[in-house]
Amino acid sequence: MDWIVRYLWLIPVLPAAAAAVIAFLKQGRRRLAATLAIGSLGVSLLLALIAFAHTLAHPALEYQNHNWLQFGAEWIRFGWLLDPLTAVMLVMVTFVGLLIFIYSLGYMAHDQNFTRFFCFLALFAGAMLGVVIANNLLLLFMCWEVVGLTSYLLIGFWFHKPEAAKAAKKAFIVTRIGDLGLFLGMMWLYGLSGTLLFYDGGAGCLEHTAVAAMAAHGVALGLTASSAIGLLIFCGAAGKSGQVPLHVWLPDAMEGPTPVSALIHAATMVAAGVFLVARMYPLMEATTGGGPSSALEVIAWVGAITALLAAFIAVGQNDIKRILAYSTVSQLGYMMLGLAVGGVAVGMFHLITHAFFKALLFLGAGSIIHGCSEEQDIRYMGGLRKLMPVTFATYAIAMLALCGFPLFAGFWSKDEILHSAHLWSISSGPFYLGAVGAFLTAFYMTRQVCYAFFGPRRPAPRTVAKPVHESPPVMTWPLIILSIFAALLGFVGTPAWPWFQSFLEGRALALNFGAFSGGMVSLMVISSVIVIAGIAIGWWLYGSKPITRAEEPDALERVQPQFFRALGQRLYIDEFYDVTVIAFSRLCARAFQWADRWVWNGAVQLVAWCTRMVSHFDSLVDAHAINAGFDGGSTGLAQGGRLISRFQNGRAQNYLRVLGVALVVLALILFWSHAG
Amino acid sequence: MIPATAFNLLRYALPEVIVAVTGLAALTVDLAFTQGRRNSVRWAAAGLTACAGCVAAILVLLLRPLPGALADGMLVVTPLTQMVQVVLVAFTILVALLAVNSDFTHHIGEYLGVILFATAGMMVLVSTQNLLVIFASLELLSLSLYILTAFDKRSPRSSEAALKYFLFGGMAASFFLFGISLLYGLSGSIELGEVAAAVTSHPITPLLAVAMVMIVTGFGFKVAAAPFHLWTPDAYQGGPTPSAGLVASSSKIASFFVFAIVMALGLSAEAGALHPSTATWTPLLVIVATLSLVIGNLAALAQTSFRRLLAYSAIGHAGYMLLGILANNANGLRALVYYVITYALATLGAFGVLAALEKEGVDQIRDLAGLARRAPFLSFCLLVFLLSLAGIPPLSGFFGKFYVFSAAYFADSGLLWLVCLAIAMSVVSLYYYLRVLKQVYVRDSEGEPIATPLLTRIVVGFMALLVVAFGCFPGLLLNWIGSALATIPH
Repeated sequence: MDWIVRYLWLIPVLPAAAAAVIAFLKQGRRRLAATLAIGSLGVSLLLALIAFAHTLAHPALEYQNHNWLQFGAEWIRFGWLLDPLTAVMLVMVTFVGLLIFIYSLGYMAHDQNFTRFFCFLALFAGAMLGVVIANNLLLLFMCWEVVGLTSYLLIGFWFHKPEAAKAAKKAFIVTRIGDLGLFLGMMWLYGLSGTLLFYDGGAGCLEHTAVAAMAAHGVALGLTASSAIGLLIFCGAAGKSGQVPLHVWLPDAMEGPTPVSALIHAATMVAAGVFLVARMYPLMEATTGGGPSSALEVIAWVGAITALLAAFIAVGQNDIKRILAYSTVSQLGYMMLGLAVGGVAVGMFHLITHAFFKALLFLGAGSIIHGCSEEQDIRYMGGLRKLMPVTFATYAIAMLALCGFPLFAGFWSKDEILHSAHLWSISSGPFYLGAVGAFLTAFYMTRQVCYAFFGPRRPAPRTVAKPVHESPPVMTWPLIILSIFAALLGFVGTPAWPWFQSFLEGRALALNFGAFSGGMVSLMVISSVIVIAGIAIGWWLYGSKPITRAEEPDALERVQPQFFRALGQRLYIDEFYDVTVIAFSRLCARAFQWADRWVWNGAVQLVAWCTRMVSHFDSLVDAHAINAGFDGGSTGLAQGGRLISRFQNGRAQNYLRVLGVALVVLALILFWSHAG
Repeated sequence: MIPATAFNLLRYALPEVIVAVTGLAALTVDLAFTQGRRNSVRWAAAGLTACAGCVAAILVLLLRPLPGALADGMLVVTPLTQMVQVVLVAFTILVALLAVNSDFTHHIGEYLGVILFATAGMMVLVSTQNLLVIFASLELLSLSLYILTAFDKRSPRSSEAALKYFLFGGMAASFFLFGISLLYGLSGSIELGEVAAAVTSHPITPLLAVAMVMIVTGFGFKVAAAPFHLWTPDAYQGGPTPSAGLVASSSKIASFFVFAIVMALGLSAEAGALHPSTATWTPLLVIVATLSLVIGNLAALAQTSFRRLLAYSAIGHAGYMLLGILANNANGLRALVYYVITYALATLGAFGVLAALEKEGVDQIRDLAGLARRAPFLSFCLLVFLLSLAGIPPLSGFFGKFYVFSAAYFADSGLLWLVCLAIAMSVVSLYYYLRVLKQVYVRDSEGEPIATPLLTRIVVGFMALLVVAFGCFPGLLLNWIGSALATIPH
């Protein structure tokens, strides 16, 4: 199976090519568009599985580099690589993506821009897979930007809704701020190491020589170059993965169609930032002495704060997708924390399990929205447990997995993050932030489930209530498949049998029940207690006595109206940005506009005027000298016979005269330029 | 030294011989077997013959690399010349395929025959280092092109354009021949290496200056550089579309290649090798390049005819390409060959689109209004070609400009101002290309959808694909040129 490394590029290229073909299809060719997108991703999944099997047999890193462009004496080279990290991501992205593509068949069935939707989805899948296999930071960055573009296109897919158009713009601009950091980091990395290839037979920028040199190279404020570059690259990751303070775009991104929220803003794209940190881990963790590097310290704190803050805000939201969005932000914070305190395997394990149960939650939410005639406010749902049994069962599994209920997938991965945070040598702060976040997670998910599925049905008064129906099988089957993974996937990485961790880190695997001992077990018990307490309090507040009217105030609002309103308003972070960052940039924009209008515009107008004059002169020459002779010639020919005489009287002579004059003038200039 | 026996001559000139014989064969097939049939049958028969011969020539070139020099540089075969010949023959195939669906003439065998003779002339032109052979093959090429331009006998414009082209070309050729005779007088030889050794050993004399200017006049006419460009708009506008395509594409490749070889090997110091040093002719070419850039790009702004616009843009492009010659080293030559090949592809593509629209009688830019609705595929190809000509990444035109500009700058930083001028002019050029595209994509029209022959669409689509591919992966072409160039001493 060695051929798989050589042909690894097919995995991203197939969906991208499908997108290119779909782009040329007419809007009416729905079936063909969907077949192309799903078929290409299916083949990619097959190849990804083969690649995965290959890395199971040969876990060592393999890569291929090729010349691409020449700039001066240097070739820019790009390539792809295959290691356990890549293989795991490939399988996750293609598998979750394929299920979501199939689900979209049902969800988007009535949309008139169905083919365009599949074009964007396929392009997204291609770009995302490109990010995963790239062996060159530049190539990764290019795919990364295409991913950002498709995210913009898909959030704004219903561009006729002003909120969607605004959310798309916001997502694009906010992530671009992070990407600026990534770009600067990339330039700096190139400046110091002279290459952007990750692995290149010892000469790559993530290999020992380059990393050691950068770790030893100090810059200001006690930072080493490797940490500074790592932090700049983390800016890009924070933008994409919605870390505080760049998290503001992700909840708004829920204006896109729900499959998009599931695919891009829950499972795959937002994980790209986490993946980027994992990919650059050799650079991030590099220090000359022992202990964590300053880059990892910052990432740990940012992750922990994000995890807690987003969980808080999620408590006060009423839109089903926004709750999930803040929960995503919070879980991404956990992943970053896990990467920083525990290493690649810890963060990636949570990434993979989260991808499955969060995709499931979003698809479940989509199923609810689809069934409730596009209603998204949980206060106007209620009682769906009986009406949508499949959706309820799968949603409950996903909710338990997200809360970290014992034995579900999220339990194992989150527990490992908390365990690593507990052992972190720098500070125990992140651990406590993470623990409180875990409690809040259990609480807000219980609140949401109680609102949506329990109690009596509370349809919104303004809409004509159509009967609620369970979704068609094309939508429920992906839910069922994903729920199996959400429940059981955690068992590939338990402390006793850490298959996933040993696979990623290339260590030997052994079944060892001795791992359940001492601190490990007590921590597990503590985190289980936290989770169960969260669920219990949530049930006590929202479930024990059914919510009968949509208008009645929230249980928390009765106790703490001020605080609850602040949470509902997302802690006024957007408003804070409005009066600081945006006001400042408005001011700059006005200043520049003034300069533009009065200083530069004048100069440009002057140049434009000169150019117009020259081209008018040229056109005069063309019209009166050359064309006039031409027309004269044609007329003469039409009258017959006098062509030659016309030419002798007309333009051809002058053509030749120009030639003669040019010859003399040029010879004189050439001679003088050397004589003088 | 390989003895110049008849057998050796045949061996080394086999591809040229095949192409010339194919020209006769196409003529014979048409005149002897398909006379009196429908035009489409005759085009198919003669066209197939021509393509078969060209494919055979390409196979011979690719499968039998046979470097060597015969008879004092009369025939010099290197991997580089063979590579350029492959490209030339490939372009001939494309032109022939574009011509097959046209109906401007009944003299089908003659038309294809003359195209093949022109190709044979170009092939000899690039594989010689002897001034007299250069002149002879240049004349073979030029005469064929005059005939091709005049071929549409029903159109007065065609004859008029051809006559102007011929008169201008005849004068340029006589200057060129005069220049050669002066060089012979100065050096006692017509072989490029010996000429270079003689003319660079002492400072420039008035006689040498005149000779150089005359040589540059001859080539400047062929490559349509200002101020030797006056024939171009007429020939592009008046000639039949495939002929104009040939004039604009492969004739440019051959002429620029031999122009660069003569300037680098024949008229600058340290003959016989490409090397980085400033040559005595630099000021001359700087003037020609500047004039071409300014006149070509600015005059194109004022055009209302699409073909005249392409003609003036060709003059502007000649200015960019002269920068590659001015670099006067291997890097410059490589950039030039890359540029001229990708440029020829895009231009021939634009003419291919015009050929497909021939029945619509498209001449003015405004005739293209709303083309995107009437012929979406052709419009998209036209978009690719024009954006490549304007130098928009990632199309190949961008990398052509990039490599030429950087080669010129790194070879001689005194050329920085010229590079800046060229960049400014390429911004100007974007404006007039976009004017055409605006008509195609923004304006509306009530016209019916245009039916184009499948073959034309395939050929045009293939060229668009190549323009994109060479842009996204310049290495495909650059590596080929580079490995061919590596065999030339420098």
